[in-house]
Amino acid sequence: MNVSTATLLSTEPAWDGAFVSWFHAPELARGVEPGQFVMVHCSVEGLDPMFARAFSYYRVDGDRFAILYQVVGRGTRWLSEQPTGAVVRMYGPLGKGFRLPDDPGNLLLIGGGVGIAPLVDTAERAVAAGHHVVAMMGARSESHLLSAAAWPKEVEYVVVTEDGSAGAKGYVTQHLGKYQEWASKIYACGPNPMFQALADTLRFNGRRQRPEILMEENMPCGWGMCYGCAIFTKHGVRLCCKDGPRFNLFDVY
Amino acid sequence: MPPSLAVDLAPGHKTGLALRNPVMTASGTFSWGFEFAKQFDINALGAVVSKGVTIAPRAGNQQPRVAETPAGMLNSIGLQNVGLDEVITELAPKWAKWDVPVIVNVAGDTIDEFGEMAAALDGLPGIAALELNISCPNVDIGGIEIGQDPEASARATRAAVRNTDLPVIVKLTPNVTDPVKLALAVEAEGAAAICAINTVLGLAIDTKRRRPVLPRARGGLSGPAIKPVALRIVYDVAKAVRVPVIGCGGIRTGEDAIEFLMAGASAVQVGTATFADPRAPLDVLDGIEAWCAREGVEDLREIIGCALPAPV
Repeated sequence: MNVSTATLLSTEPAWDGAFVSWFHAPELARGVEPGQFVMVHCSVEGLDPMFARAFSYYRVDGDRFAILYQVVGRGTRWLSEQPTGAVVRMYGPLGKGFRLPDDPGNLLLIGGGVGIAPLVDTAERAVAAGHHVVAMMGARSESHLLSAAAWPKEVEYVVVTEDGSAGAKGYVTQHLGKYQEWASKIYACGPNPMFQALADTLRFNGRRQRPEILMEENMPCGWGMCYGCAIFTKHGVRLCCKDGPRFNLFDVY
Repeated sequence: MPPSLAVDLAPGHKTGLALRNPVMTASGTFSWGFEFAKQFDINALGAVVSKGVTIAPRAGNQQPRVAETPAGMLNSIGLQNVGLDEVITELAPKWAKWDVPVIVNVAGDTIDEFGEMAAALDGLPGIAALELNISCPNVDIGGIEIGQDPEASARATRAAVRNTDLPVIVKLTPNVTDPVKLALAVEAEGAAAICAINTVLGLAIDTKRRRPVLPRARGGLSGPAIKPVALRIVYDVAKAVRVPVIGCGGIRTGEDAIEFLMAGASAVQVGTATFADPRAPLDVLDGIEAWCAREGVEDLREIIGCALPAPV
């Protein structure tokens, strides 16, 4: 973990109500594992809101990195409105990220909504390491989807929308179809109901993959000090920030 | 020459509790110290105070456990901890390798448990003092129900003091009409120092769900929002007692700490600020040093209690 500041390079819309912000900060971009996160302060004086917000690394490129976030409250709104060149306080990288298999395999990446954020960096690294990658994204509608251009060209990108405005209609976990059998390893990030549905589906179909998931919980500190982000697993209580955010799906669901 | 920042938090006690500087961590905001030690120089701190320990391990409360509020937060963690045995066998031996004194915060369910835990921790290398947690608002038994009653607070203090040679610090709740009564009651039973304050009872409502945010409704408010309340109580307590007072509540800068010292605190605990800024305790220490240099203060003890009214 490094405690530092980052210079905002750009903020572009990712979809309706979501943004990608690129920052320059060598000490926050170095040594990042896919699925790790950074704590970003979303106020100047640090009093209201007082605590930094946790964001997955969306992409990492040398001394620069990007986060992809949905505006859900005051903090993310403030962040989305910062001008280029703004200096933002943050600390990271934090948490335990995904572990990619050593041998090339078929990796299925499943993202629900803004949970897609850490999967692009994961896909880039997986492709570079010789894995075959299918990325599935579930979203509310066509206007809440990450652009296909965000993915490495080797990645097969499958979209599912709740209203059917793009791709198959329904939830992403209802359309795992042939990919369940194809995948040698599954990685997922999204809301808790998506994890529950994923666990139920895989269990019902007798799938033996042990998916790794990135979980989210309210994290005031992000580094194991406050105990606010407890996750109750089958092996006892864990902290999302320090013991996670990567968990084995079936340890939790 | 750099200013002298050393303070003794148990001057009348057989072992004393000598701190190289007055910056401590607050219980429940620093886990067991190992995360910090991985990132920073833990021996730069005046003292480390552990998370609250109970006799048996605890999983803590259900989610949500925290609610962010302006300049602060409500917490209802529920004393999640590894339990007394693991503290004794696993953690204390690691603490013994540090130069910084480690103070174990103990949370009994009953008066007797304070005595039992004090006895179990007595004489262990790696533990410099105990802090009695009689003020946790987030558990069903023990905690604040002891800490809101001067007589029960006195009995818990007596139980601990009789069972250990370690200095016993008692951490007071602000959630009473007159915290001075609590302070006098625990001082009379041998408390080596008094820490003020634990969190202030508060509430937040989720307007979408039309229910309190926290499952137990009430939570403990901490952060800069409570600093004036903490300062007032430190000031009142320091006027009334002879033992050292440790200030806690909303401290995040050197200037905040100086205010507490002037109000009569001999040391300060940095808590919630560490959640927002991992370097907060170190920044507070740097700030105190810078303030002393700027103001020409050579020994921090010059300013401890300087804002208190002259004794009559």
